[in-house]
Amino acid sequence: MTVTATPQSPASERKPGAGYWLKKNLFRTRLDSVISVVFGALSVYLLVRVFLFVFVNGRWEIIRVNLKLLLVGRWPSEEMTVLAVAIIVMGLWGGVIAGLIAGRQRLAGTSTAAGMNAAERVSDLVRRFGLIFATILLLLLLTSTAGPWLTMLLALVAALVGYWLGRVAGLRKWGALANWVGVLLLAGIPIGVFLYTTAATPLAEWEGFFFNLTSAAAGIILSFPIGVVLALSRRSKLPLLKSASIAYIEVVRGSPLFVLLLLANVSLEFFVPAALAPSKVVRAIVTFTIFSAAYVAEIVRGGLQSVPNGQSEAAKALGLSAYKQTSLIVLPQALRNVIPAQIGQFIALFKDTTLAGVALGILDLLNGAGAITQQPDFRGQGLIIEALVFVAFLFWVGSFTMSRESQRLERKLGVGTR
Amino acid sequence: MTDTNPEVFADATAVGGDVMIELIGVDKFFGSFQALRDINLKIARQEVVVVIGPSGSGKSTAIRCINRLEEHDAGRIIVDGIELSEDVKNIQEIRRETGMVFQQFNLFPHLSVIDNVTLAPRQVRRMPKGEAEDWGMELLTRVKIPEQASKYPGQLSGGQQQRVAIARSLAMKPKVMLFDEPTSALDPEMIGEVLDSMKDLAKEGMTMIVVTHEMGFAREVADRVVFMADGQIVEVGTPEHFFYDPQEDRTKLFLSQIL
Repeated sequence: MTVTATPQSPASERKPGAGYWLKKNLFRTRLDSVISVVFGALSVYLLVRVFLFVFVNGRWEIIRVNLKLLLVGRWPSEEMTVLAVAIIVMGLWGGVIAGLIAGRQRLAGTSTAAGMNAAERVSDLVRRFGLIFATILLLLLLTSTAGPWLTMLLALVAALVGYWLGRVAGLRKWGALANWVGVLLLAGIPIGVFLYTTAATPLAEWEGFFFNLTSAAAGIILSFPIGVVLALSRRSKLPLLKSASIAYIEVVRGSPLFVLLLLANVSLEFFVPAALAPSKVVRAIVTFTIFSAAYVAEIVRGGLQSVPNGQSEAAKALGLSAYKQTSLIVLPQALRNVIPAQIGQFIALFKDTTLAGVALGILDLLNGAGAITQQPDFRGQGLIIEALVFVAFLFWVGSFTMSRESQRLERKLGVGTR
Repeated sequence: MTDTNPEVFADATAVGGDVMIELIGVDKFFGSFQALRDINLKIARQEVVVVIGPSGSGKSTAIRCINRLEEHDAGRIIVDGIELSEDVKNIQEIRRETGMVFQQFNLFPHLSVIDNVTLAPRQVRRMPKGEAEDWGMELLTRVKIPEQASKYPGQLSGGQQQRVAIARSLAMKPKVMLFDEPTSALDPEMIGEVLDSMKDLAKEGMTMIVVTHEMGFAREVADRVVFMADGQIVEVGTPEHFFYDPQEDRTKLFLSQIL
């Protein structure tokens, strides 16, 4: 590769700044130079190959044609409006929550955006969520109808309106009653959207990437409180509670998720009559919850142990009940300490939802990608690579964004506290 | 217990007022190690008792038994007429009447200063938020840091944190304050401000038990000084008696080492 030879050319000597940087960081010793050249060559080679695959050789027609199948499976076309409404309402909801947090942080003086001007704020947002926006835009460019464009545009507007509303509400101090109503309302919206969506298309028919996203979200939301209870039980002085919790955690953590999913597929028939047996999607979500709860429990237990003993002693000395010592003093600190590990666990669960596709035969993103390569138009053309790259890309966008947000949160929580 | 001057010191009521805290024959074991041996002590209402002694002598363990942070294995502990027992209600009642200040402050880092102070009144005494905050500000003013109310503990100096901790324990309007080496974790220049807050408290008539190495404080503020070694009370007396005319060899040795 001739490209990598340029840093050593005389041009770099004439520009002392760049030349100095290169010499210091890449060519300080003979070994450094060898490593730099070898890895530089390798990187350029790979980048060129990836570029050629994505923009020249890749046959992305298969994705474009099957985009709906990959994203939402066989969701009935006449019910797409329901999905659109759900997305827009959730956009509003997300905006309100982001706005509330921003307003509250402003009030508490812990806002990181406080010292930023408008341009910095935009660039901060782009750095945080640009990848997601770019991906959504890419997917929109692949569509041939106006519906998705309109939906995403309205969702964006709804999110902005929601942000503004949330911020206004967050900057005000509310009474206890208003706070409760607000919390109930915010918790109620996703439940309402869920009921509205399942009324149109039953849960059993949720497919595509939509299945991966929603089942991961459900698994995360349901497993978190169960995991916290398990962690507290494991530290309990009551022997029965303690051993039950240990047994649960160790059994579940000792089994592969794939096996649990396969078991969920066949074992429920032993306990419930066939007519009452839940759908595959429900089984998948229940299994995710059971599995994830055990991991959440161990993460939270680590967090509980990281809170110094003096904290509960101080709470005791003030006369707080055992319940309040835990809920007001120890648990909040423990949970804050484990946010990064927790998000890591949720990223893993998000990716593991692809196992449900295979184990339970749900047409999720991965299964869908396999299925489309068997279509008459595309069969036998080796298009599985394109399909799998697309799958990997979507999961990467989600996981990478979550992991970046986690790092951001970690930095933020380190500020202004001990 | 080897009281050197029984007529004056055997009984706190001799110092004045009725009995606030009574320890009768208290033993405490950590495994096979005996941390407290037959501790007998009566403390009067409004009395300030300073407990001194070498490290490992059981000073901290003794006061931690009074609010049940440690469970005593034998003997009786009675606080303001309530005897400590297994009964959770009894324990809670004694803890509500007993404030404690720790060596490591133990402020709640996730709560602002004012929330640290108002937490117990709001959660335990069910005081309304507004009233609790007024009360909290009054306490912070008393320890001379009202301007720090909305900050977080991590943003304060050690001396400020310890004064918040004092305000926090006062928020429950305790009848007794226990201080467990309150200045031992502080930089020297911050010790004074914490001791000043404690002196103010003593002047206001608070019943106090203070475990400390601050001999100046003991001399100036204490009604009685208790010297402990090896889990036992070796000598009890007024500061004058204690610093100028100690009777026991163990006491003399200790004083010669620290003074």
